[in-house]
Formats: sequence, C-alpha cells, structure tokens
Amino acid sequence: MRELRFHRDLYAGEQVDAALKVYERFGTFTTSEEGEHFVVRVESKSAARERRLAGELANYALGLTIRGRGAT
Amino acid sequence: MNLLEIGADGLDTGKPAFFRFRPLGDRVLLTNLEGRFVVLDDADFGRFARGEVEAGTPLFEQLSRENFLRESFDEAKAAAMIRARRRFLDAGPNLHVLVVTLRCNTTCVYCHASRANMDEVETDMTPEIAERAIDLILQTTSDYVTIEFQGGEPLVNFEVVKHAIEYALSKNASAGKQLEFTMVSNFALLDEEKLDYLLEHRVQLCTSIDGPADLHDSVRKLPRADGSAHGHAVRWTRRINERYRELGLEETLYHVEALVTVTRELLHRERELVDTYTELGCRALFLRPLDPFGFADKTQHLIEYPREDYLAFYRRTVDYIIERNKQGVEILERYAAIFLTKILNGEDPNFLDVRQPAGAGIGQLAYSYDGQIFTCDEGRMLDAMGDSSFRLGDVHMSSYRDLVGHETVRAVVLAGQLDGHPDCVHCAYNPYCGIPPVHSHKSQGSIWGRKRESSLCHVHKGILDYLFEKLATADQETLEVLQRWTTSRSRDHFLHRVTVGAV
Amino acid sequence: MTQRFAGVPDVLAHADLDDSSAELTVDSTLYSLESVYGASFTFIDRCFVFLDRPAEGQLRVTLAAKKSATQDELRGFVGEFANELLACAWREKITAENRGAIEAVTMQALAGAMGPPSLDELEDFDFSEEPFEDPLGIAMSWEEKYGKDKAKRKQGEGPEAAAPEPAEEEA
Repeated sequence: MRELRFHRDLYAGEQVDAALKVYERFGTFTTSEEGEHFVVRVESKSAARERRLAGELANYALGLTIRGRGAT
Repeated sequence: MNLLEIGADGLDTGKPAFFRFRPLGDRVLLTNLEGRFVVLDDADFGRFARGEVEAGTPLFEQLSRENFLRESFDEAKAAAMIRARRRFLDAGPNLHVLVVTLRCNTTCVYCHASRANMDEVETDMTPEIAERAIDLILQTTSDYVTIEFQGGEPLVNFEVVKHAIEYALSKNASAGKQLEFTMVSNFALLDEEKLDYLLEHRVQLCTSIDGPADLHDSVRKLPRADGSAHGHAVRWTRRINERYRELGLEETLYHVEALVTVTRELLHRERELVDTYTELGCRALFLRPLDPFGFADKTQHLIEYPREDYLAFYRRTVDYIIERNKQGVEILERYAAIFLTKILNGEDPNFLDVRQPAGAGIGQLAYSYDGQIFTCDEGRMLDAMGDSSFRLGDVHMSSYRDLVGHETVRAVVLAGQLDGHPDCVHCAYNPYCGIPPVHSHKSQGSIWGRKRESSLCHVHKGILDYLFEKLATADQETLEVLQRWTTSRSRDHFLHRVTVGAV
Repeated sequence: MTQRFAGVPDVLAHADLDDSSAELTVDSTLYSLESVYGASFTFIDRCFVFLDRPAEGQLRVTLAAKKSATQDELRGFVGEFANELLACAWREKITAENRGAIEAVTMQALAGAMGPPSLDELEDFDFSEEPFEDPLGIAMSWEEKYGKDKAKRKQGEGPEAAAPEPAEEEA
C-alpha cells in the first residue's frame, strides 16, 4: 500500500477526483480527508506497480491543477 | 570593467538613457532599446555610468548620436528602428514547408528530417493533400510566399512536386502572391529531364555539403551501388550553376545554395570546408551547429561536441573566410550576415530562427506528407519522435485562421519574446537575438527554457562576441567585408509575380 | 536510505536512494506557488512530482525518478529544479513588468498573421458566448450593477439616491 497526501492549498480537490477517475481501473484507491489533506491509499499487484500508479496519479493531478489555474 | 569601483551609489540614473552592457575584452559594449550600439573603453564607460559626460565632447556626440543620453533622446528615431526590427509582425507565414515524402535514398547520421526507407511508399504525400495544403498556403496574409519542398528526399516523389508547383501557379493567378519555390535535395536522383522542369519553373535549388568528400560521405551515406553522396551533390551543383550561366543569370546572385551541418569531425577542417565551398562557386556558408532534432538526438555520442569547441571553430572559419574575401573571393558566413544586418543596418532580415518572436506559426508552417500541419519543420520532426506538442491541425479540417490563431502559436509567440526571459532581459544582445521555443522545448523541457543553460544561447552569444570584437577592433578592409555581407539583393528570377485582375 | 547531497544542507534537500527520489524544501516566502508549479511541470517527463506543505512558509517537493536513479542523478535533478525554480520566479516578475510590450507584440503578430475574419467565419461565430470577464461590470446593466440601489428605489427613494456608491463598493 502506498499513501499519497494532497494538500488542499496545493491541489484542487476536483482535479484529484478527476485523476482518480482516470486511474481507478489500474488499482484500488481508498480516499479520505485528514485535516489539510486529501489522502489517497493506492493498492496494486506489486510495490513497483503501486509506486508507478501513485506517481502517475500524482503527476496527473498536478497537471490538471496547474492547467486549471492557468499557470505555466 | 569598473562597475564595482563605481559602486551602486556612483551610478547616475538621470543622464544615461536605457542601456544594456557586456564586457568585450578590455572594453564595454553598450546597446540600447532599439539596438544601436557603442563600444567604450573603461574610462569612458565610467564617465557615462556616473553621468559625467560633458556636452560638446566627442564622447557626448557619439552617445547622443546613438541615442544613449536622456537629454537628447530621440523617441521618434528609436520608435522607427524598433518598428523596422519588427516589420515581420505585419504579415503571416511566408515560408511553407511541404514534406512531400519521408522516403530518402541516403542515411545521414544526424538526419533532421525523419526519414523512411525507399519502399515505404505510404509516406508519400498524395496530390490531393498537396492541393489542400496549397489552398491553405495561399490564404496567408503575407504577400510573399515561399513553398519549400522537403523530405525525406523530395525527388523521390517528384510527380507530386510537379503537381504542387502547377496547382500553386494556377491558384496563385487569383491569390496574387509573390510566389517562390525552393527544393532541398541531395541531388542523387536528379537527371537532366527533372532539372529542365525545375529550371523552367524557376525552382531555387539547395543542397547539403558537409565538407570534403570523405567527411561528407561518412555522415551522408548512399547505398554503395549508388556511388558517393558527395559526388552527386558536387556534380549537380556544378551542372546547375552552369545552367544558370547559360540562362544569362548573374552567377554572384544565382547559384546553388549549400548548407553544412557541423559535426565533430569537421571542427579541425575549416579551411578544407571553405575551399570546398568556394571551389563550387557557393557564395554563402552557414555554419549551423548540430541541433537536437531527428537522429542527431540518438547519435550525439558520435557527432556532438562542446559548444566551446564549436565557437573556436567558428572564429577560425570566419577569420579564414574574411581572409579569402580580402583576396577577392566573395563568400559570406550566413550566421554573421544575419546578425550583422541587424547590428549595422538596424533591420531584421527575417531569418525565422533568429528573430523574436521566432517564426513558428506566424512566419512558417510545415505540412507533413499525411496532411498534418505544424508550427515549423522542427515541430514536425518532434512529432515523428513521438511528441505532438507543435501540431496545429491538418489540411482537411483546419482553416487558415484556426492554424495561425491556434493556442500553441499564441504560446510560442509569447515564449519567443526575450523581454520575458531572465538573463535575456538584461543581455546586451537582446535586440539581435532570438531562440526558437521549439529548441528550448526539446533541449530543456519547456518552451521557455533557461537561456543561461541553453546551448543555442551559448552559440549566439559566442558569435556575437566575435562579431562585436571585429567591429570594435578590425582594420578598415575587414569592416568593409563585414558591411558587404549585410547587402541583400533580391533574386527576382525566382519570383512568380502575378497581378490580380490582369490574368 | 536517506542520504545527504554533498554541499547541500540536509534541511534543504536530501535523497532516498531506496526509492530513487529526492526531497527539496522551498521557502514559500521567496518563491511563489506559481513558480513552484512551473518548475515542477518541467520534471513530469522524468519524475513523479509530489508537493506538500510541511509547515507554514515551506513547500516540500519530492522528485521520484521514473527509472532507477543514482545519487548523482538525483543531485542533478535537485540542482536543475532549483535553477528552473529561480528562472520561473524571475520570469514571473519580468513578464509582469514587461507585460505591455509583450502583449503588444503578441497581438500584432497574431493579428498580422490571422488577418480579418471572412464573412463565413463571422457567420459561424457564436456571439452568445461570454465575450470576456468583466470585473468592473462595464458590460452589466444598471440594474445588475447597482442592485442595492434598485432595492432602495423600490422603497420609494428618489432617482438621485440611485447614484452609484463610491468606488469601494465596486472594488
């Protein structure tokens, strides 16, 4: 299991949700909210796959957040 | 330079007008907003920076004439030069690259064009795609249109080249553009019949010659049975130049344009390179360093070199070219000619890769064999490498305004302006420079890039250092040679002029 | 296994070689969030990038290499990120300062290239779309803009009372 913590000030919640929808078919994701963070727990067949899945999800959520803000 | 001695408190911000500066040996180069320049020694620079230049002195007159002083600052003169340097903004793309096939008979170790094998006929452009591309091309807001046939090797799909020329000429009867055709070819598949056609239709011919035969053939490989790539290029260059003379065209103006790509092996053979070009009757040599596109990305361990080595080579080569000019041989170095035109004439020669904003999308469009359209030929090459960032649309679905108003074009226009870049904003060479965003994207991962770490920025600064050193210290004869390189004469023979309504 | 980078204080950056990743701490009072986003974005082809805010005034950037990376490679990532961050921060400031000139050139370049729209293109244009953001309310109707005054008028106050409030209400 790998845990991702998306800080509310840095990631838009709806963009994290949008990223989860894209990647949900590749693994098991459990979401919760803890204080300032959206927490996503990633489970997949192997540790390597979990690392990759978590990383791709994070990059995707970051990309969507940046695009949503119009930043370059 | 004595800025530290002057100290921040000693600088006078009231008398000097806006300027940028750069050390130049034991002197200081100053350029201003519109791109005028002066080179001062330390003492004069100190006087200027402290606001101690007295009216009536030769230094005051020089600084005043070049618009470096607030009290005599001529806004209209500055505005006129800035306008002249940006004149290209008034019109849309004038260069349209038509990739008529990816098939190529040669294999070049640094191939920039993304090639396909000769049996991959599916990479040929169809006549219908060529027509749709030309319909778009002739909608440009530019009065001048150059259609450049590229590949692969364009002679492989010569029927479509012919079709495109004839279709463009017929459509241009109503479009009324000043139309030119050029073709970039290795000439290995040229024959007299094709040459007759190309000369009859006034197609300007360009080739690549990478130095002496052994070097050229080591990087541009033809199948053994087809002979030497260098042999074909040289033989046909001579033949074409001979045909131009037979047509009564002045040979100083009309000759095959040859391009060189500088590989590691060439760095020690500058005299052989220049001699090869002069012996062929070429009047220009463009010392292009390797770029990161195409095969060059994969084979760089074989052919790349530190940019310092390139710049040393550049200095030696241009020194030798100047020497040959003094002996009566007319040949120029293209990079130098581009920069000198900006420096000495106060105008932009509109070379699309060294201007700001760069030409991508607003000065150039590239049409791939399959109808896809890109901001520039480098954007097309990146697409062939799996990166479609610079794709704008295709000949079937896109309108002209869709293409040039595309969000990618807007982004590269913004990123192509050096006043938005750290380092560039304070660089003395800002008025003369330009870095294509596609280069930054490929080499540094963003269209903005970091110029201080950019190999192209390094090359431009090195070349401009060399040129300004020459302008500051060279003898009169050298200065006359450099001034002559800024003379641009139009090659009217290649223009297909049409007066709308008269046809 | 957490390792220091030679010459870099541990509190600023360190590596986790087991995970092929590096962490940097960024002072968010020096660098804007937009700059951090900009620098992060140039790494997503090589790294998985995670951002967090461990404490007020700090941002933590984790660069996890997509492929296994040595300590030297991770140090290279950290150095390049720091350079890119500086470039982004400065570019943001310069672009704001030179915005007028840059926008003028961009507008001229695009207008020069595009030319005027054709009649067909005008016919296809959807004029019902929101044309632009209108923070000053220039395109709003009087009633929309001064709804409070409209409410007052309903209460029987004279038309002079409907005059716009001082600027602070619009701000």
